[in-house]
Amino acid sequence: MVSTVQNSDVKQKNEDQAVVVAVTFAAVFDAEAEDDRDVYRLGVALPLLQVLQRVNERLLEENPVEHQLFDIILITTETRQQQQSSSIITSTRHHGLEVGRFCFSSEDDFIESLAQNNVQLFLTTDGNEALRATQQGVPSALLDKNSASCPSDQLRVVLCQDATIQPDADSSGASKKSAQSFLTRLGQIRQKFGMFNSPLCFTIVTSCGGKDSCCSALKSLRSLGVSVDEAYCLGGAPRGPILSILRPHFLLSDGFSQLEG
Amino acid sequence: MSLDPIQVMSGQVKELKVSPSSNGDTRGSWEEKEEFDPNQLDLTTKSKPVTGRRARKVEGAMFFPKPENAVTVAVSSRVLFRTEREQKVFEQKGVEEYLRYQIEHENEPFAPGPAFPFVKALEAVNARLRELYPQSEELFDIVLVTYNHAHVGIRLINTINHHNLFIERFCMTGGSSPIGYLKAWHTNLYLSADAEKVREALAEGIAAATMFMMEKVSEVSESQLRVAFDGDAVLFSDESERIFKTHGLDKFFEHERENEDILLDHGPLKGFLEALGKLQKKFYAKGQRLNCPIRTYLVTARSAASSGIRALKTLRAWGLEIDEALFLAGAPKGPMLEKIRPHIYFDDQMFHIEGAAEMGTVAAHVPYGIAQKHNSPQTLSGGK
Repeated sequence: MVSTVQNSDVKQKNEDQAVVVAVTFAAVFDAEAEDDRDVYRLGVALPLLQVLQRVNERLLEENPVEHQLFDIILITTETRQQQQSSSIITSTRHHGLEVGRFCFSSEDDFIESLAQNNVQLFLTTDGNEALRATQQGVPSALLDKNSASCPSDQLRVVLCQDATIQPDADSSGASKKSAQSFLTRLGQIRQKFGMFNSPLCFTIVTSCGGKDSCCSALKSLRSLGVSVDEAYCLGGAPRGPILSILRPHFLLSDGFSQLEG
Repeated sequence: MSLDPIQVMSGQVKELKVSPSSNGDTRGSWEEKEEFDPNQLDLTTKSKPVTGRRARKVEGAMFFPKPENAVTVAVSSRVLFRTEREQKVFEQKGVEEYLRYQIEHENEPFAPGPAFPFVKALEAVNARLRELYPQSEELFDIVLVTYNHAHVGIRLINTINHHNLFIERFCMTGGSSPIGYLKAWHTNLYLSADAEKVREALAEGIAAATMFMMEKVSEVSESQLRVAFDGDAVLFSDESERIFKTHGLDKFFEHERENEDILLDHGPLKGFLEALGKLQKKFYAKGQRLNCPIRTYLVTARSAASSGIRALKTLRAWGLEIDEALFLAGAPKGPMLEKIRPHIYFDDQMFHIEGAAEMGTVAAHVPYGIAQKHNSPQTLSGGK
């Protein structure tokens, strides 16, 4: 049974316009480590949480009544975590994290709660969870220990287009639409800042196809209202070296392999 | 670059040391996750649709050499094409207007810039290499590098297609430094309009040179790549030039004579000459020595009878063959270059760069060594 609790320490965001990002318990906290006051230590998602907060701050600087902000939810995806609700709330408030709501669900029903909360991006450290969410039409991305060392002053989103990823069996209308909708919103946020000194940087990396597939990706994104900052066309070269320079907070790929209509 | 087993014709079988290109700053887990299987590429990649313009294609699959196997030449968009009008818009009207202008003119291709004939010649060499070694990855690989925002990317891609260039790799860094990417691409040569970036690249051990817009450019061969190099502070270190600048010509001659048998230290472009030499040997191995589509030249102010000897001995000790060595003994380089018609000439002194350009030779400045304290571009529009 899912329960949702608001974090009274944090000002609630406008439901219609906010971009809801759900981050799992295991990403926010280092689940193994607890200090003696029963407070969890922070996990790999910390730089990401900080940078989302930073984007919100800059958005409000541009427009003090801005409603299109990132709204962060902490979601549990296991029964065991679900039962730790008070520790989780305490730890979150202890660390002063800008988490708007808590969603206490289990492995059976966390997908539903993503839908109920209108989640536009689901971030987890667990590959299976990401896959399940994607299959149900919620764009997902994996966080790992690389995420822990990303910068916290600029949100770096990298979209990987890779022709060798076989089209998702679920490349259903819903899944594609939610991917496009999420990108459109990111694009809108990006538009609020100038070319330089933006707290959000959008990068596209095409692995396999040549320049023409990169070109069509740029055009598709433009039609969604996303203006891309950086583009790398690898022509088959390995992604590793380039990605380690880019240091994305998260990579969007599997759910986005086909952007064109 | 890994070496196919090839018999070196000059009599010595020598294991040539590849100029070390440092790897990009990789962290273990990115590599493991993203490891790309090149074998998979040949089998599963769909064949590129043949359009009328693409005359050259490797059967079926798109053929992308691994960066460490190819001779990677990174070229800035500002030297491959002419973008002065757009630069002016940027300088006078700011970045937003600049981007709007680029998008508005997206379907208008840029005109060729100073590096264009050089890049075309690299492609001509590739065509010959593919005929002789269809499976080899030891080819020139051209990467377009630009500081531009990816907005401009579409216009650049349209331009590449318009001119029928075979460039499938690029970096649009949206303003951040490309140096990390140059290393990740195992870049063998970087050509840019921006002297600062070139200096940064040189500091990282990447061969690099600054190029300038030219008023008139002489015609060059479309079938044979010709690359000319100055000696001191380009192929060799600037140690001798230091002596010349601080103690004068006589001391220079004396020093060179005394040290004739001591090898000169290497300079920033030695690695690139080496890479060219390796490709040349592939042609020699197939009996193409007289018909080789790569030709290299040394154009130096040293004189044949004296100071030039040390240069030749050094090259020989390095196992590098240079096709023609021209010792000018201080005479102006312009007329000689005009006769040679190289696609590109590398020199560390702006004086020579300007002299070359006056006579229509595309010259690229290597901002290295003691001569930089005395340099100042007089006539050419360089730098930013």
